[in-house]
Order: sequence, then structure tokens, then C-alpha cells
Amino acid sequence: MALTDFQLVRPRTLDEAITSMRTHADKSVRATRILAGGTDLLPSMRQKLFEPEYVIDLRGVHELRGIRETEDGVEIGATITLNEIEGSKLLREKYPVLVEAAKAVASPVIRNMGTIGGNICLDTRCLWYNQSLAWRKSCGFCIKKDGDLCHVAPGGTKCWAAFSGDTPAALLCLNARLEIASASGTRRILVSDFYTGEGDNYRKLQANELLTKIILPHSSSGYRGTYRKLRIRGSIDYPLAGVAVAVKRSNGHVDDVRIALTAVNPAPMLVPGLAALAGNGCIDEDAAEYAGTLAARTARPLTTSALTPEYRREMVRVFTKRALLAAMQS
Amino acid sequence: MNNFSIIGKPIAMVDAAEKTTGAGKYTDDLSVPGMLVGKILHSPHPHARIKRINTSRAEKLDGVVAVVVGSDAPNPYGILPVGHDEHALAIDKVRYVGDNVACVAAETEAIAEQALELIDVEYELLPAYFDPEESMKAERDFIHENKPHNVEKDYHHAFGDPEKGFAEADLVEEARFIANEVTHAAMEPHSTLASFELDPHTGKLGRVTVWSSTQVPYYLQHKLSLVLEMPMSQIRVIKPLVGGGFGGKSEVIPLEIIAAVAARKTKRPVKITYTREEVFWAHRGRPRTIIDLKTGAKKDGRITAVKARVVQDGGAYCSYGVVTILYSGALLGALYDIPNIQYDGYRVLTNKPACGAMRGHGTVNVRFAFESQLDEVAAKLNIDSAEIRRRNLLQPPCITVNGLRVQSYGLPECIEKVVEGSGWKERKGKLPKGRGLGLACSHYVSGAANSIIRSDMPHSTVNVKIDRDGGVVVYTGASEIGQGSDTMTAQIAAEVLGCSLSRVKVVAADTDLTPIDIGSYSSRVTFMAGNATLRAAQEVKKQIASAAAKKMGCGPDELTFRNDVVTRNGSRNPNPAIEVVSRAEGQSPHPVTPNPGATRMEHPTGSSASVSGHVEGQILRGSLQQKRKEDETPRESMSFEEAVVAAIDFHGALTGTGSYAPPPEARGGKHKGGGVGPSPAYSYSAQVAEVSVDEETGEVTVHKVWAAHDCGRALNPVAVEGQIIGSVWMGMGQALTEEMVWKEGLLMNPGLLEYRSPSSVESPEVIPFIVESIDPEGPFGAKECSEGALAATIPAIANAIYDAAGIRLHESPFTPERVLAALRAKRNAKSLNLTEGVDPTSPTRFREHGGAVWFRGKGAKRYEADRMPTNSATD
Repeated sequence: MALTDFQLVRPRTLDEAITSMRTHADKSVRATRILAGGTDLLPSMRQKLFEPEYVIDLRGVHELRGIRETEDGVEIGATITLNEIEGSKLLREKYPVLVEAAKAVASPVIRNMGTIGGNICLDTRCLWYNQSLAWRKSCGFCIKKDGDLCHVAPGGTKCWAAFSGDTPAALLCLNARLEIASASGTRRILVSDFYTGEGDNYRKLQANELLTKIILPHSSSGYRGTYRKLRIRGSIDYPLAGVAVAVKRSNGHVDDVRIALTAVNPAPMLVPGLAALAGNGCIDEDAAEYAGTLAARTARPLTTSALTPEYRREMVRVFTKRALLAAMQS
Repeated sequence: MNNFSIIGKPIAMVDAAEKTTGAGKYTDDLSVPGMLVGKILHSPHPHARIKRINTSRAEKLDGVVAVVVGSDAPNPYGILPVGHDEHALAIDKVRYVGDNVACVAAETEAIAEQALELIDVEYELLPAYFDPEESMKAERDFIHENKPHNVEKDYHHAFGDPEKGFAEADLVEEARFIANEVTHAAMEPHSTLASFELDPHTGKLGRVTVWSSTQVPYYLQHKLSLVLEMPMSQIRVIKPLVGGGFGGKSEVIPLEIIAAVAARKTKRPVKITYTREEVFWAHRGRPRTIIDLKTGAKKDGRITAVKARVVQDGGAYCSYGVVTILYSGALLGALYDIPNIQYDGYRVLTNKPACGAMRGHGTVNVRFAFESQLDEVAAKLNIDSAEIRRRNLLQPPCITVNGLRVQSYGLPECIEKVVEGSGWKERKGKLPKGRGLGLACSHYVSGAANSIIRSDMPHSTVNVKIDRDGGVVVYTGASEIGQGSDTMTAQIAAEVLGCSLSRVKVVAADTDLTPIDIGSYSSRVTFMAGNATLRAAQEVKKQIASAAAKKMGCGPDELTFRNDVVTRNGSRNPNPAIEVVSRAEGQSPHPVTPNPGATRMEHPTGSSASVSGHVEGQILRGSLQQKRKEDETPRESMSFEEAVVAAIDFHGALTGTGSYAPPPEARGGKHKGGGVGPSPAYSYSAQVAEVSVDEETGEVTVHKVWAAHDCGRALNPVAVEGQIIGSVWMGMGQALTEEMVWKEGLLMNPGLLEYRSPSSVESPEVIPFIVESIDPEGPFGAKECSEGALAATIPAIANAIYDAAGIRLHESPFTPERVLAALRAKRNAKSLNLTEGVDPTSPTRFREHGGAVWFRGKGAKRYEADRMPTNSATD
């Protein structure tokens, strides 16, 4: 499958990047795509899911690099690779849940290229969508691209393509914010507000806007926890379900429990109703089981990927329970 | 111990350096001036009549040279003489999503892809069949008009007296097993480059050269000749390096014909390389197989009878299907002593890509069922799994009830090796909860005793030529596809001639240069091409020996060829290094692994004292000089080169030919279909797998596999071990993760991201044991080693899961959802509504989904609930 012709734009500064986005993005909706690691974009372009006129390569923009402590917390540049997150001592010490989630992404080769920004902006996935043009044509296309049907839900008008990034589940638990830049300035948004829950219009990012950094607040730095990922192979695979758990403890008490899910809804989601778990001395099997049930209730997997939805929902329950018990040990 | 200098030593593959450095050229690496790129338009419908194809818009696109359609090459072909049901491009009908409709030849890939969108095809949709058992009920709209009820072929065999056998049994076990569809997933996608030459007399298109990723260059040459209506001698097929075949390249694949037809139409070279999705559509993998199996046994575990009804979901074309369904029945025999066998096999057509041959062709799925059921029999009779297999061993040499001749039989030793290696006696049934051991056996042919082309021609022929400086060239049609065929050929030639491996160059798989060989499939190359090489080398050796003997004043039988020296038997100085003729340093065509264990002398360097030296012109003068140097007294030894020079002076050109045809005694019974299954020799395998099962998630982890394989003699032990490990790994893929998932004829996972071959993370430790039964007819006693081991892995894992968790899985792959469903069913826990794919007695829902539990979307059709189509579909 050939790549269709496009112009590669290689800005060297953030200003240049934003200027070129403003110049090109206004022309048409699909005029530009951002390339950070390219691990998801390039296969999708070959499948003709995107046929941009301009590809803006952010790898030369030094402002988007770096992991540093600031007044607000720890800032991560959007083009920091997942491998760099894995190797960061600072993050490992303060935000281990994020490191765990980054380690779970795809395979080492892909983590060397793939970026945290790309993982956050990752396109939603569905078996009826992530296919070649010829394949999609043979099923009459779908709502998300070129068509009007949903093959997952009969009569549906909503796109259920699942958000399949690993790290946003951890970022949700850590109450992270995203900084978004455009020609009209910068804005900050909570990760929990970034996603829409619509598979075909999944994130709140305009065509002329750029995700520049991720801010992890100081208040989340005491959280311990882990990330559990359901996949068939131990490497390469996208998550079929992902559970991030972060627990804050002090003086032998559980102060706060946060659980977030990914790959089972069109958006990564925090599990609500966990307040009851806080305040106890420790979280036992029963409490973990209860959290698992809540998590399973939050998950709405459909047949967008391998394994049956029932099984994936059940695994959300099991993984949540296990992750929570493991977090208590850490 | 044997007394070989090269055979039995671990030797690096002769093409290892090319492959590991990236210097080697595969078909897609090739290009010729003026070459066009071909792109194929595939059918979007599973079953439809083509009413009209209009290519004019595509042809007008700048950069498009021609659009090829079915009428450009209307002759049918197929790998089997009984199955000529394919056309390179569809003539009147398409039969699966992905069937080939038209091909654009253009200056670039992007232009060709663009042009595909401009071809207008009008289809008339026909009812499509996706499940074999439904397809068999069809009364009209057959996939091929000459195949009523969509049954490609059915066979009904009874050997011995099955009814009596079951009547005598103390225990009869019966169950349905399902093995879902898997594919080869070779690393290299198929690729073909075709280029015509102009005829020097007429100026019109003349000979054609086709470079292709194929296991069977001669079959390709033959089918091209049928379709192009050209004599075979005008068609040259060259096989460059091939990145794995596993059966997926063991027949003619549409792109190979299409590239040649496009090259003819455009009068320019055309290359087509499949995308991974197209590789899945070309497929020819292992069919989804439904096996109703019944085994009867006495209280002591002796099997009295076996009955199997096998239905194979063959896809839209015959391919190797008739052979597959026969292997499935025939290979019930030749592993154990089974006195009575009944077999009913149905190869059924469905509107999906054609299934064909895949590593362990025909035997793997039935072996999964059989070995699983034998384990159940053992459990019910309270007999150890290893012991029940020992009690049913054959007593070779023998001919089985279904006409298979068994000679060498290393199965008992294979069982002992893995039982010992795994600590079976101490550990089986005693591991902690959730962990278990399972044992299973398998076997496979070393090539088919009857070739599919039904000819009396030898199956392999090999030529050997020796140059004046002692360089040996072996010409073989056998196709190196990564399995080590070229290395094996070089080893056998070098061993017979007593020369160093670096002297031997193998020229393989070029139909203009190499004598005919029917190809690399059914594990036939070592046995057949190996025997042909052995004979060709022996013939040349005879000529050298007679000339050398004359010089040495002895009989030719009194000479030993070894380590580049020809020695008189009984001489006191059998290895006079000083006499060895040198070859210039760096001339070695192939690297040889340092081999501390071998007594073989390493390739001598130019510094050693030489008889004929290696200065310019020396080769031609050599014999004259030698003459001068010779004493009157007969010599006790001479260098290989001296002997070669003597022979060339005496005989003229030094060449030899050897061929191999299986002996008549090995060709099987006379019953209908009895030609498939017989082999000159069978390999044997036994394996123990250690697994753990997570009872909460259903995830199965394979920790370790002990795999013993009887390959007759290990010509190259490191290659044999590689094949055993590879077989286990590939079998594990089918056992746990690999499955082609269909929805209304659409393949849901046509890529290596969603079709999940195991990654290195899941790869267990594999402990290979080589068992050498020394076959009386194999070259140096060798048999096959690359397919037989695979079939044991799946049931070994299934049996280990049973040991670990007490659940018997009847359907592969054992995905976590299937395992969890079985665990819940066992505990009578709240059902997860996952059982329909696991419980074979309630298959209705399962069939509706074309084979897999893991996908249950609503499908490609527009449903009543769906909105009316809109025209503003695109953004």
C-alpha cells in the first residue's frame, strides 16, 4: 500500500509549527496531520484512513522535548518518547503509575519511536475501521470514515470505536492536565475533559491546535499504583482492556483511590464512586472485589476488537481487583 | 559412532551471511529496467457474478500502461490435476472477498492504486456460503457448477472391521473437536517479477523469465505454460531467496500468473508484491476442521478401533484440498497400531479464500483431536498418558491396516526422552494447582511416495559437475526456502566426495539450469533430493576413484575420500596435510562454522606447501607437473584436486547425475485415494508441555516444552533443532492465539497485528531431543524434521491444560475466553454467555459467526434498523 503524496513540513520551533498549522489547517478539514513518532499515523495513511496534504513533523521542535519539574508539578514535553518516560528516574519515583502504563505500550521498537503526545491523541480503533481501503469498501464503510453505518451496533448512529491508548488511563488517575497551543495562545485542560466519548470525534482538539505538554500536579506525586493490560500477546498488541490504579496512603490509611479504564469505551474513563474505599486502614479482597464491580459497570466494551465484550468486561473486574491489591503492596 | 566428516556436524546455513547482513536478494528486492508495478483489484463480494467490467477510466489515467482482466488469460489451472478450477483473474464469477478481478500495470504503485478506484465492475450478488456444514446443504448457486452441494470431494474408507473393533472395546469415547483456521504468516509476502525477451527471429515476445517467491518452481513453470499457452522450455522460473513458505508458496499463487500475463500485455517487465492483506486472501492455509472422533479401547489401553468424520472448510477453490482431506484420514495410521479404522472425509467449498497445504499438511487438526481423545481414554482407564501410548506402538517393519509401510520407528525412544527430560513420572499430576504437564505424539511423511502429477518421472534429479581445480557444483531443482535445503545438498555432496564444504557450490531452483525436482513441500527434500544428490555424487566419485586408483596402483574400492585427500586404505599416513593442494585464501564461497568437535581439517590456506601450487595457469598445467614429480613407486595418497585432475584427464568432463523415485513397496494400498499418505519413511515426535492456567482470567502460559523428534539421522543437528523449536513455536501459535476470524466472508484480521502469532514474550523454553533411528532408505539414514513435530504441540498443550485445570478443550485456539468459559462450565458458575463456541454440542450460534467466538459484530450487511443510505457519506 503506497502512501499518497503529501508535503512534509519540518518546523524547528513551536512558533513555526503553529504558524504552519494555521496556514495549512484552514484549507480543509483533512489538510494536515501531525507526525510525532509516526507509529500509528503511517500505517493509517497507508490504509487511506488519512490522506493529508501536509504532514507536520514535530521531531525537530525542541520546545516539545524534556521532562522537568516546575511550580505546577512535572511537565512532560509532548514528543517525549514512551521509552524516555520508562527510563525517567523522576517519573519513576513520583508517578510510577504512568511509567507502568508507558511500559505496557506495544513493543520496545515502537516505544522507541512513539511519543506520549501521540499516545494521548491516538485515534480510536475498531476492527471495521482500521482496515485497508479495499477492505472497508467491501463492508460498505462505516460512520467513522466514509460511511453511514455502524457494524458494531445495528441501527446505531454513534461511533463506538474504542480509545486504545495505554497512558491516558494513568494520566486520568494522576489528574494530569494538557497544555494546548494555537495561534491564539495556550490553554490548559484536564485529561478527563479532553475526550468526548464519541468514537469518530474523540478529542477536543481543533485542526489548528497542538498538544504541547502534559502537566502532572504535585498533589498526585504520592500516588502508588500500577497498570494492568489485557492483551493476547505479551507484546505488540493494543490493549483489549486497560486498568490503571493509583492509591494514596498516609499513616496506614488509604486517603484516596483512583481507577481509570481504557480500551473499553470511546474514551478513557475514571471509575466513579470509589470514595467509599478511602478512609480505611487497608483495602481487602472484598473491597477490591467491590471496586472491580464498579469498574466493570463503567466499562462498555463492544465488538470493536478481539475477544468478546463479555470477556473483556469480566477482565476489567478481575484486573481492577488484582491491580488494587497489588497497589496496596507497593 | 559414525565416521563422517561433515554429516552430523552443526554447520551454518550456506546462505546465512547473505540473509543476516541483508545482502541477500529476495524477489521484491529485484528490479529490471522499464519495470512496471502491478496492483490487483479484489472482489468486495463473497459470491457474485461479474456482469460487466469497464476499465476505460483506469486506462486513461496518466502512468497506467495496461489493465489486465480475466479474458486476457482465460485458461484454468490449479495445483492438482483434478482441481483446475482457478483463473488468474475472474472470468465470470468471484467466489470470495479478495478474489482477483483485474490488474493495473502502471509506472508507480501509487498510480496503480489510484487506477484501481477507476475500474467499474458491475456485480450480480449470489447467495454465499460460509460454514461448511451449511454449504453442504446447498441446492443451488453452487460455488463451482460442477461441484454439487459444494462438496469438493468426499472419501469413505474402512480398514479392518471398525464395527467389530468398537464391539470389542471396553471403553468408547466420542466427541466433536474443532480446529479453527490458521495461516502460514511467512515473513516474506509473495512477490513475482516477470519479464519477456524478444524473439530474435520474429521480433515478437519470446521467452519469459519469472522470478518468484515459490516452493515449487517447476509446477509454476508448468502452470504458466498452460495459461500462457507457451512451451515449458520458453519459460524460465528462477527462485531467489525465499523468506519462508510453510506451504503457502507450495502451489501457484494468482499473482505469479497475473504478473506474467500483465508483462505480456504491456510488453514490459511487471512486478507484483502482495500486501500483507493480500497474502491473507491468497491464503492456502490450514482449513477450519470439524472432527467427530470415536475411539474404542480395551481395559489395558489397547486401541481396538477409530472412527473419524472430518469436515474441512476448504474455501472457494480446490487448491491442495483433495490431498488435505486424504492426509487427514491416511495419517490416522502409521503412528500407533490401530487395527480398525473408519474414515469419512468431506472437503467442502465455501465463499472464503482457498485453503491449501500448511506445515503438517492434513495431519495437524486430526492429530489434535486424536491425541486429546487418547488422553481422555487414558484418564478413564486410569492409565498413564505415556504408558497408553507405549501400549499401542507399532512393531516395524510393518504395513499398517491402511497400507502405509513403516520401517524406521523412533517413537518409543522419543517418548522415553521426553518422559525422562520433563521428570514426567515424578511431576505429572503432582504440580501445584493451575499448573500441569501434557504429553502427545505425532508423525509425518518424508515426502509423498506418489507425486501429485501422477507421473513415473523421478521426484528429484541432481547433477554434479566438478571443475579442474576441485570445485564442486551441484545443480538441484530443490527450493531453498529457509529450511536449509541448499546446506543439506552441499553437505551430502561434500561427505560423499570427501571434500571440504567450502568447495561445494549449490545452484538451485532455476528451471533453465537445474534438473527437475517437484519442489519443497511435504518434507520431501532431504529424503528425495538428498538421495538424488548422494547418487549423483557417488557417480562422480566412481569416476574419480577409477582414475586415482590407476595412479596409485590399487583398486578403486581400496580408496578412502576424506578431508580433501584420497587415501589408500591401510596406508600409514592417512592424512598427509603436506600433500593437500591449496586454494587461494578468501576463495571460499561459503563460510563454515568453526567446528571444534570435528576431525575434519579446515580449509587449507595458500601458505601450505603445494603440489600443483595455485599460481596463474597452474590449474591447466597441473597434471603435467604432477607427472614430473611422481616417483616410480605408487603413492599412498593424493589430494582431492590431483584426483580430480587425473579423472578429467582420463574421462573428459567430470559430471554425474543421480535421481530418486520412491520404491514401489512404499507406494501404498490400491483403494481409492490410497495414493495419499504413503511415504518412503515417517518421522516421529513426542512432546511434553508444561503450562499454567490462570483460573480467573483463562490465560494459558506455556512454560516449557520438551520435544523429541526422530529424524532418522540428523545431517545437521543445529538445523534439526531449529526445525523442532520452530515447529513447537508455530504449533503453540495455533494452540493459543492464531485464528482467522470471519464475518460474512470478511476476514476480520487480515494483518499481523490482529492475526496474533506469538511474540518472543510468549515463547517457551523448548528443549529439543534428536532421536536417530537411521532409516534404511534415507540419505545417510535421514528422514524429515521440519513438519512432524508441529502436530504434537497442540494436543500436548491441550493435555497439559487438562492436567492443570481439569478442563478438556475441544476447540482450538485455546483463547482465554474459551478457557474461562470451560472453567466456569466446570464449576457451574454463572455463565458468561461465552460457551457457544466452546461447547461443540451447541454450535448454532457459533456457526452464525463463521467460526470464532471472539467476533460478534452485526456484520457487513445493512440491517433493517440501519439508517437509509445517504449520499453525504464522505467528509
